[in-house]
Amino acid sequence: MTTDALDDHRPSRPVTSRGFARKFVVHAVMVLLSLVSIFPVYWMIVTSLRPDNEIFSTVLWPSHPTLENYIFVLTRVPMLQMLFNTTVVSVATAFLQVVTGMFAAYALVRWRMRFSSVVHGLIALSWLVPFQVTMIPNYVLASRLGLLDTLTGLVVPNASHAFAILLLYHAMRAFPIEVLEAARMDGARSFRILWQIVTPNMGAPIASLSIIAFISAWNEYFWPLLLSRKPENSVVQIGLQMFMTQEGNLWGPLMAAAALASLPILILYLILQRHVIESFMKSGIR
Amino acid sequence: MTDIQAEVAGPAAAKTASTRSDISRERFSISPLLYLAPAVVLLMVWTYIPLAEAFRLSFYQWNILPTSPQRFVGLTNYQRLLALPEMRNALWNTLYYTIGLFPMSVIIPLFVAIWTQDLGGRARTIYRAMIFVPMIIAPVVAAILWRWLLNEDQGLITLTLEGLGLGRIGFLTDPAYALPTLTWITGWKLIGFSTLLFSAANAGINPSYIEAARIDGASRWRIICDIRLPLLSPTILLLSMMTVLFGAQWSFAYINVLTNGGPLKSTTNIFYLLWEYGFQTLSAGWSSAAGMIAFAGFAVLAALCMWLTKRFAFYDN
Repeated sequence: MTTDALDDHRPSRPVTSRGFARKFVVHAVMVLLSLVSIFPVYWMIVTSLRPDNEIFSTVLWPSHPTLENYIFVLTRVPMLQMLFNTTVVSVATAFLQVVTGMFAAYALVRWRMRFSSVVHGLIALSWLVPFQVTMIPNYVLASRLGLLDTLTGLVVPNASHAFAILLLYHAMRAFPIEVLEAARMDGARSFRILWQIVTPNMGAPIASLSIIAFISAWNEYFWPLLLSRKPENSVVQIGLQMFMTQEGNLWGPLMAAAALASLPILILYLILQRHVIESFMKSGIR
Repeated sequence: MTDIQAEVAGPAAAKTASTRSDISRERFSISPLLYLAPAVVLLMVWTYIPLAEAFRLSFYQWNILPTSPQRFVGLTNYQRLLALPEMRNALWNTLYYTIGLFPMSVIIPLFVAIWTQDLGGRARTIYRAMIFVPMIIAPVVAAILWRWLLNEDQGLITLTLEGLGLGRIGFLTDPAYALPTLTWITGWKLIGFSTLLFSAANAGINPSYIEAARIDGASRWRIICDIRLPLLSPTILLLSMMTVLFGAQWSFAYINVLTNGGPLKSTTNIFYLLWEYGFQTLSAGWSSAAGMIAFAGFAVLAALCMWLTKRFAFYDN
C-alpha cells in the first residue's frame, strides 16, 4: 500500500451547508490531534531555549532565546561522545540487520526445503519472546563474552531480527523466479545472483528496513540500560536517563539534552518524512 | 555454532532436502545453510537458548553473581510468586495497560480515519506528518517531555488546570492517577501510527462498493457499518493483536523512567516486575519464573489472536 492509495480521487460532492459544517468539525478534530501530537515536542524545544529565570514561563515563545542550556549539557555530560556512539550503534545495527536479513531471506526464497518452514517458524516466533524474559541469560552471556559496557555488546544481539528477515522475505518473494532461473542457467553462482541481480532490485525494501532499524536502534533503551556502566561508553538514551536522575529538576538543560537526543531523528524525519511514514506503515511496528 | 548447524543439517534433513527440493533440481548443497547461518545462529544464541536457560533458571535460586552457586528449588519459585499479592497486582495492572490502550490504538484512530477520508491533499499531508511525530520520538524522550508537562509544581498542564480552577493533580505521584497517566503516555505514541494504518486501509477500499450502496440509497452510517468496517476488519484485528501482545511491553520505559513502578506499586506491570526481581533484588529464579508465567500467558493470547484473525478477518478478493 503506497501513500498514493490514500489519495482517493473521488469527485467531491456539491458543498452544502451541512457538508461545510461537517468539514469544519473534521478539520477541528485533526488540528486538535495534531496539536496533541506535536505540542510536547514543541514545548521541549521552547523550554530548552529559555534562559534560567524564564524556565517556568508559560509564554509560548521565549522572549530571550539562548543556547546556554545546550552549552551546559555539552560541557557537563559527554553528550557529543554519546551522540557519536549512538550513531555508530544505529548504523551498525541497521547495516547488519539488512545483511543477515538479505542472506536469510534469499536462502528461504531460493531453496524450498522441508526444513525451511521450520526455520521460517522459528524466525517468526522469536518475535514473540519478550526481551525481559531472556534478559538474565543474555546479560550473563554478554558479561562472559566481555561485552559489558561496550558498543559491540549493544550491536551484536540486535544484528539479526525476525522483523528484518520477514520484511525482506516477503519483498523477495515477489521477485520473478524466472530471472533467478535464467541466471542460474547461465552458470551464475548463488552469491553473484544475490549480489548482482536480487540486491539491486530490492532498493525500496532495503531502504525501508534501514530507516526503521536505524530509528529503533537509536531509540533503544532496555538493552543499553542493562549493559552500560559509564556514560562515555554508552548511548544517548542512557545519557538522558542518567542526567535526569543526577541533575533532578534542571528542566532547561534536561530539555536541551532531550532535544539533542531527538534532533538527528527529527531531521531525518523532516527530510524523509514520506518515506519514514510509509516504511513504518508497510511493515507494522517494532 | 557448529552444534546448531549440525542439528539443522542432520542426515535426515539432508536426505529430504535433496529429494524434495521443488524449485530447483540441484543436488543438496551446503549453501542454503551458509546463508541462513548468520541470522539463525544469532537468533539461537540471543533468543532461543536464553529462553531455555530462563526456563531452567526458574527452578533455581540464584543471585546472578557468577561466583555464587545455583540451588535447585523445584517449583518453589512458582508457588511463592503465585501466592504473592505483588504478582496479582502486577498482572492486574498489565491488563489495565492493555485494555486502556485500546481507545488510543484502535477506536479513536478508526473513527478519525473514516471521518477524515475526504480531506484535501495538502491538509491531509500536514496532519499526517504531525500526528506521526510521537511514533519516532524515543520512549525516554517521551517520558521526559510528559514529566515536564505534568510536573506537579510548575508543569504547563498543572498550571493550566490551576488557572481553570481545577486544582493540582499529582499525575505521577498520586496512585489514583499514575496508572492512567502512564497508559496515556504509552498511547500518545500510538495514535498517529494507528490512524495512518486505518487511513491507508480505508482508502484502499474499492470505491465502486460505496457508489453502488449510495445509489441503492444507503445512509452514510449504513455504509460504514456494512461496508467499511467489515473491509477494515483485518486492520482492526492486526492493531488489536499488536496492542494485546506488545502494549504492556511498550509501557516499560515509561514506568522505569517516570515512576519506578510506584507510587505504592500502582504502575508496576508484569514486565517491570521481572526487571525488579532480576536486577534490583537480584533473584534470578523469581524473575525467570515470573517471565515464564508471562511468556506462557502471552503465547496463549497470541494463539488466540491468530485464531480470531483467521476466523473473523474479512478479505476483499
